[in-house]
Amino acid sequence: MSSRLRHASWGKIGLVAIVVLYIVWSLAPVAIAFLFSFNAGYSRSTWQGFSMQWWTGSKSVFNLPIYTDAIRHSLLLAVLAVIITVPLGVSLSIFLSRWRGITARPASFLATVPLVVPELVLALALFFLVTKVNLPVVTLGTSGQVVGQVTFILPLVIVITIGRLSSIPTGYEEAAQDLGASPPQSFRLVLVPLLQPAILASAIVAFAVSIDDFVITQYMSSTSSTQSVPMLIYTATRGGATPALNAMATIMAVTTIVIAAVGFALYRLLARREQITDVPAPAPALAVSREGAL
Amino acid sequence: MAGGHIQITDLSRSYGDVLAVNHIDLEMVPGEFFSMLGPSGCGKTTTLRMIAGFEDPDSGQILLDGVDIRHTPPHKRPVNTVFQAYMIFPHLDVYENVAFGLRRQRVGKDELRRRVGAALELVQLEALAKRKPSQLSGGQQQRVALARALVLEPAVLLLDEPLGALDAKLRHQLQDELKTLQQTVGITFVYVTHDQEEALTMSDRIAVMSHGAVEQIGTPREVYDEPTTEFVADFLGISNLLSAQAVSGVPGECLLRVGEFLLTARGGETAARGQVKCVVRPERVNLEPAGATGHNRVPGTVERLVYLGSATRAIVRLDTGQTLQSLIPSDGQPVAFEEGIAVQLELPADALRVVKGGGGAAAPQAEHVLGDQLEGAADA
Amino acid sequence: MSPRRYLLALGVPGLIWVVLFVTLALYSLLAIALGGIDPLLLTPVPAWNPVDWSTANVHEVAQSLQPFSGDTWIVFQRTCIYILLALAGCILIGYPVAYFTAVHAGRWRGPILALLVLPLLVSYMLRMLAWVGLLSPQGWVNAVLVPLHVVPANFGWLDGRAITVVSGLMYGWIPYFIIPVYAALARFDTRYLEASRDLGAGTGSTFLHVTLPMSRQGLLAGTVVVALPMFGDFFTNGLLSGVSSTGMVGTLINTYAESQTNQAVAAAVAVWLTVFLGILLLPYLRSSARAGREVGR
Repeated sequence: MSSRLRHASWGKIGLVAIVVLYIVWSLAPVAIAFLFSFNAGYSRSTWQGFSMQWWTGSKSVFNLPIYTDAIRHSLLLAVLAVIITVPLGVSLSIFLSRWRGITARPASFLATVPLVVPELVLALALFFLVTKVNLPVVTLGTSGQVVGQVTFILPLVIVITIGRLSSIPTGYEEAAQDLGASPPQSFRLVLVPLLQPAILASAIVAFAVSIDDFVITQYMSSTSSTQSVPMLIYTATRGGATPALNAMATIMAVTTIVIAAVGFALYRLLARREQITDVPAPAPALAVSREGAL
Repeated sequence: MAGGHIQITDLSRSYGDVLAVNHIDLEMVPGEFFSMLGPSGCGKTTTLRMIAGFEDPDSGQILLDGVDIRHTPPHKRPVNTVFQAYMIFPHLDVYENVAFGLRRQRVGKDELRRRVGAALELVQLEALAKRKPSQLSGGQQQRVALARALVLEPAVLLLDEPLGALDAKLRHQLQDELKTLQQTVGITFVYVTHDQEEALTMSDRIAVMSHGAVEQIGTPREVYDEPTTEFVADFLGISNLLSAQAVSGVPGECLLRVGEFLLTARGGETAARGQVKCVVRPERVNLEPAGATGHNRVPGTVERLVYLGSATRAIVRLDTGQTLQSLIPSDGQPVAFEEGIAVQLELPADALRVVKGGGGAAAPQAEHVLGDQLEGAADA
Repeated sequence: MSPRRYLLALGVPGLIWVVLFVTLALYSLLAIALGGIDPLLLTPVPAWNPVDWSTANVHEVAQSLQPFSGDTWIVFQRTCIYILLALAGCILIGYPVAYFTAVHAGRWRGPILALLVLPLLVSYMLRMLAWVGLLSPQGWVNAVLVPLHVVPANFGWLDGRAITVVSGLMYGWIPYFIIPVYAALARFDTRYLEASRDLGAGTGSTFLHVTLPMSRQGLLAGTVVVALPMFGDFFTNGLLSGVSSTGMVGTLINTYAESQTNQAVAAAVAVWLTVFLGILLLPYLRSSARAGREVGR
């Protein structure tokens, strides 16, 4: 018995070691890349002392238009992607989960196709669509990049929202309509508030994926003015870029992490406030005491 | 508030191949407590949802106070629903849940406050107005659902198994409250349940349903004491059925052959002849010591005795092989019988009811359903 | 407005979007792959009408897909080997990490999970950029390994080494692998483990007969989640090698797509890749649909 216990604990120590080593391995290189943005020299691989020159001053990331433009463009794309994808995806999800008809199944399959083909294939397909079909508005450049990112992110929003929708009984909408709300009102006043956590989660994911996206953004780009941060990193990494490149990459990463963290905190708050109680269990005493504790 | 008058004619609804509601006719008179009782899948909830407007009938008519509401969308029907799991909006507090419908009607501020207050008072929830639904017990949520619907002063209140989620003790208490409430507000209640006790204690009239058809409509006493079909007898209490051969009889009476014994039945379809079923309530079956003589008596053996508190249930196997149950009221003394002893069963002629078979177990045949439905219409 | 019509109004914008930018886009890809070439400009001409379809491009690629010797075949083969190796790494490292976090982490579960998600928020390109710095001839990797005589001085990790590409793929995609595996493991009830122990199974056999079978769906999901993008990956290769001898299918498609005159071939390779992945994915899609139905009940 004791030998088995010792055996089990050895196994656990091994597991802990793997986890710790993995986390170090996955994050240390990023930390080092961040460190090199303070390098006194021009190298991104050899440490030559500490300096703030890539963060402030004439050689800094903030003073080189190629970097600031890329950051600005990436943020623009991300904001547009969130603004378009979230309402589009949430309303499509409501349709897909509540529509009782033959369109729903093939439609949900189609909407999730981008999840089961490599992004490169979708990027190439969108590139041909935009270059060979004369679509209004959508051309290579910002419009094409937004369209491409939205198409790519849409299935993720759908997966998140439908997951939440399936836990919201249709009875809530029926109750609203029973009490005199028109169908649009029942969605706006009941379903949308209940979907808030999913909407927020979708927005976070859409933002993070858009900021990180490379393949579609690259294929749908036109001139250098439509260069996003990942595109710039891709072209500059193996060239002679200065540690300002590391500084720019760090700025984007920190922006994404902060937005995701704030969003997650908000999500926790919403999810707790609007939890859907299941068929209630008769426990008045418990409910009262819980409120008393608050 | 005046109760609404509902007339349902030839209503049906199917899902794919399944006929959920099979051409039924029902009428709920103003101010009555009407229950639809039956097992799950009998069509009672579908019927309720068609009255509320959540399901479209395939055919038939629903008149509310003489107006056909079949094409009126749910939010414009003057009926309100208490849902099975209440569906209290989790993001709104109790007050806002009750105010929800009034806000849709753009009721003035003062009137809104007054009416919400009155509705909360009606269900004794004034003190909990600012609570969130997650802080309420099941019984409290049920009251919010009631207040939310009643505040709109509907002509008819539809209730879909509103007590199903509660424990037994609370259920009994709320049954009384619900009945009192219905008498206070005076509107028509249409109540769906699978619990025969609930239906019997609260209803003015009950429609017993099975397989999308109405088996019988009547007052609680009628459906309990005078079931017209085997299904109704079975569903409303312990199945105490006797297979017999109806041989002859004067009008209003029927002579039944059970094995080598002859019994007289004065209830039900006394004109039927041939193979019939006969129902008898366990509390009307009298147990006597073996050898007792007289009319309408058959011998058997006590197979099991089950002490129930207020009574003892005896399960008796007749010499013909069938079993019958007898309910012996407790009188403070031990029951005078033991398991395994021979007894004589007295089945009073007016307690024996000849009923139509089928209904419950197998899917009814078309003619059979048609017959039941005509019967139901005649009763209504 | 009737509920049905309102619901339809909610769905229509999204449906139009999907039809236009998924269906029509993929059809454009097919029309290019099965289209012709402009005789003067040598640019691809899409064949929108199936009557005009020509198999010339697809056939050309099919010929280079000749087993074991065709150019494209060799690239497909290399791609599969790289991906299998990277997947093996993902499973060997990622599974224990996900397992520990889901089953044994206790109160550390939240913080560890946050650290596991963190790489997903740091852009892929930044994480590759970091390794380019570390792996450069004067970088910190050589600074450690050269004195230990593991590699010669100024060893060129970034000069087209298969090991660099495979490790890079693994490093890049493993966070995406861990999350679904974790989700699957976190869902299952640890009481099963207790039950198994209770029935006399040891730690090892509990893991083998209870935990592993129960995490099959998660492992499968994680594998699909990372294998799919790897099949279209050209940027990891581009940053960590840049040499065609380590090129993958994604590299091939991207290279063709970059030159105007070869875009039809790029489309044809992409179609073949999609067909190939469709065949690979079929069992997975079936099993996840089945699992979905079971959960639904």
